[in-house]
Amino acid sequence: MLAVVVVVLVVAARPAPTKGVSDQRAFALATQLKCLQCVGESVGASQAPLAVKFRQEIDRQMRRGRTDDEILNYFAQRYGRQVLETPPSTGVGALVWIVPVLAFAGAVLVLAATFRRWRGERADLTPSDDDEALVAQALADRRDGGGGSS
Amino acid sequence: MNRALGLGGLVLGFGGAFVGICAVLAGLRSNRKELVRLSRPYAGVVLFGAVLAVVAMQRGLITRDWTLKYVADHGSSTTPPLFNVATMWSALEGSILLWGLILAGYTVAVATKFRKRLEDPLVGWAMVVMFVVCLFFFGLMLTAANPFQGNIPPPGYDGPGPNPLLQNHILMAFHPPMLYLGYVGFTVPFAFAIAALATGRVGEGWLVETRRWTLFAWGFLTAGIILGSWWSYEVLGWGGYWKWDPVENASFLPWLTGTAYLHSVMVQERRGLLRVWNLSLLCATFSLTILGTFLTRSGVVESVHAFSGGSVGPILLGFFAVVVLVSVGLIGWRGEQLRAPGRIDSPLSREGAFLANNVLFAVFAFVVLLGTVFPLVVEALNGDRLTVGVPYFNRMTVPIGFALLTLMAIAPVLPWRKASGELLRDRLWWPAWAGVAAVVLGAVAGADGVAPLIAFGLGGFAAGSALRQLVLATRRQGVRGLVGRANGGMVVHIGTIMIAVALAASQSFIRTAEFDLKPGATAVIAGHTVKYLDSRSVEKSNRVELRARFLVDGKKVFEPSLNKYRLTGQTIGTPSVKVGPREDVYLALTRAPGTSNPAVGLRVIVQPLVVWLWVGGTIMVVGTVLALFPGRRRNPLDPVSAPAAPEVEGDGPPSDGSDEPDGEVVPA
Repeated sequence: MLAVVVVVLVVAARPAPTKGVSDQRAFALATQLKCLQCVGESVGASQAPLAVKFRQEIDRQMRRGRTDDEILNYFAQRYGRQVLETPPSTGVGALVWIVPVLAFAGAVLVLAATFRRWRGERADLTPSDDDEALVAQALADRRDGGGGSS
Repeated sequence: MNRALGLGGLVLGFGGAFVGICAVLAGLRSNRKELVRLSRPYAGVVLFGAVLAVVAMQRGLITRDWTLKYVADHGSSTTPPLFNVATMWSALEGSILLWGLILAGYTVAVATKFRKRLEDPLVGWAMVVMFVVCLFFFGLMLTAANPFQGNIPPPGYDGPGPNPLLQNHILMAFHPPMLYLGYVGFTVPFAFAIAALATGRVGEGWLVETRRWTLFAWGFLTAGIILGSWWSYEVLGWGGYWKWDPVENASFLPWLTGTAYLHSVMVQERRGLLRVWNLSLLCATFSLTILGTFLTRSGVVESVHAFSGGSVGPILLGFFAVVVLVSVGLIGWRGEQLRAPGRIDSPLSREGAFLANNVLFAVFAFVVLLGTVFPLVVEALNGDRLTVGVPYFNRMTVPIGFALLTLMAIAPVLPWRKASGELLRDRLWWPAWAGVAAVVLGAVAGADGVAPLIAFGLGGFAAGSALRQLVLATRRQGVRGLVGRANGGMVVHIGTIMIAVALAASQSFIRTAEFDLKPGATAVIAGHTVKYLDSRSVEKSNRVELRARFLVDGKKVFEPSLNKYRLTGQTIGTPSVKVGPREDVYLALTRAPGTSNPAVGLRVIVQPLVVWLWVGGTIMVVGTVLALFPGRRRNPLDPVSAPAAPEVEGDGPPSDGSDEPDGEVVPA
């Protein structure tokens, strides 16, 4: 129930809009861009001069009614592909998206095949009378020994 | 003096490890027990050397011994005492020294714990592996990463002090040692895994021996990661706590494989299955700590906390390659003996769920590893420069997180071997309603968007399941129902679920705005008012602080500051946070008021449920401690699994009383 209690406390809020002019949209866009003057920070997180300039530019373009894609493309054309935090979905870069999915699918297939094989094997494995006797014996010992060695 | 002492310590550590390896190997080969038993005194020698070196380094830092290059480069006469101590791990060479100390400590701990069985070849080989790793790190310190290089300081010299980011918050003094206790701790199970392979004793015994060591290391790694994200939240000034930075990923990777191991090892203990897989996971976890150290200490990736340092990179990469080759080679060599005798009867069973858990954790680790190294690989292949940033990791890992939450809900109620649909329906009834309630409550509280609602629902479901287990266990056993691996594990689950829910809420409903405020002006964001009162300058030994006062919601004053470090001229902010159970209001200064413009630059971030990340992390650590204690001893003949025969399907599942979360299996 703890998580439930926690969830009760969630405030009313909405995910970042993709249209219009708002601080939220501006920051959502800024976190999609890498700050080229900093080490491993996004434009949204940094106070470096270039990041501040980027944010002003985002604001300007937002006010002109540009779409999210148009704004991001503007920066990508001007500063190179690496300014975008999201790797591309075409070319060599797409591998970073595809390979994990393939790996997962492969793992699932291998597991499914293994279970199938196991299921096939199980048919010819039924306990023999000797096995049953062994189990009965062990249980009897257990009762007599009152939890002795096992 | 300090230099001689330190170098002496390093040589002693190196020599102790070397002689230790020779003695144990010779003893194992000629079957002379007194030689094998020497591992304990030599472990003591290594630890003594490490302590000597650390004492020399601390003495150098405290006395500001500028004739040590490390102290001259990273120390300063103005660093406050606590951070002066922590300076030892604020740069490459010193952090390796801390590594060496902890490694030597673990080596002695293993030798002490197994003191009665030192001549046992399994323990002997494990000690050899520990010594080899010690040899590597002390060798590294004697060559490429020497913390005791000499220096001739000019008269009146004073050092620059550690990176200002690292002396801005007290957590910096605790987060790295915690992390290293976790990181380095994985050496112990790795050593036993290699020893089991080398001796051919790949049965279950060594697993039972090392389970607690793994859990111990895992607990520290968890604490280290949580402290690290707390530090980043408290210091970096953008309201974030995790940004998939290569260094964060480097600590997260062994955590993922370690977590996978802690789950799948239960299948091996109970059913004798997954032997190759478990050995591989341990080897992978240790290799990933070395790979992570390579990534973050060689300067190949850029990151806030990466230290770059000359030839350390290739050496670490070489060691990583050796570790991987040896592990793979040994596992291949022992392949036949590792073949499991049994098999998993049904995917819908406890072991089936653990298998699914392992697939998910493995894919999770793969995604994180791929995302971290992908830019390097692509640039090496065709010279393209691209970034793999936060959006990638979020998009790839959120579905995995959902799947893991689902498993967390279902797996704890599954019996071993085989479950029936009816039994599942029975046991998941209340947890499922908890999930529904969580969604409804989330929606009522105003949360919208599909992803966060799914997260809340699954979180409620999983928490319901974990609580159900805990309630059943405590009803049966009283307070002892909270202790032991399975019950402690459920407590860890609850902590994890809190973190998952807090992540979903704080990431989905974050509000950020920046303001220029003149004294007396008020900013409004997400229902909160922030009024700028005034600001002043405070002189400290190492920095000048500009402190601004803000009245939040007309009640309490908060005082974020901008700290300008005298020696480097760097300015680092210290945010101030109004912490609440519902949401945090985070204030960070972005610009100091000037003479021409009296307005102060302020960034305000409102994020829900952030505090539950730290609460969840604490609960995870508490759960780990509970899991370290031995649980109730299970009667080996107690029924633990549903009847395996297919014809009894629907034939009354075992009562809840027998659905004992697996207690400690104590070999008689």
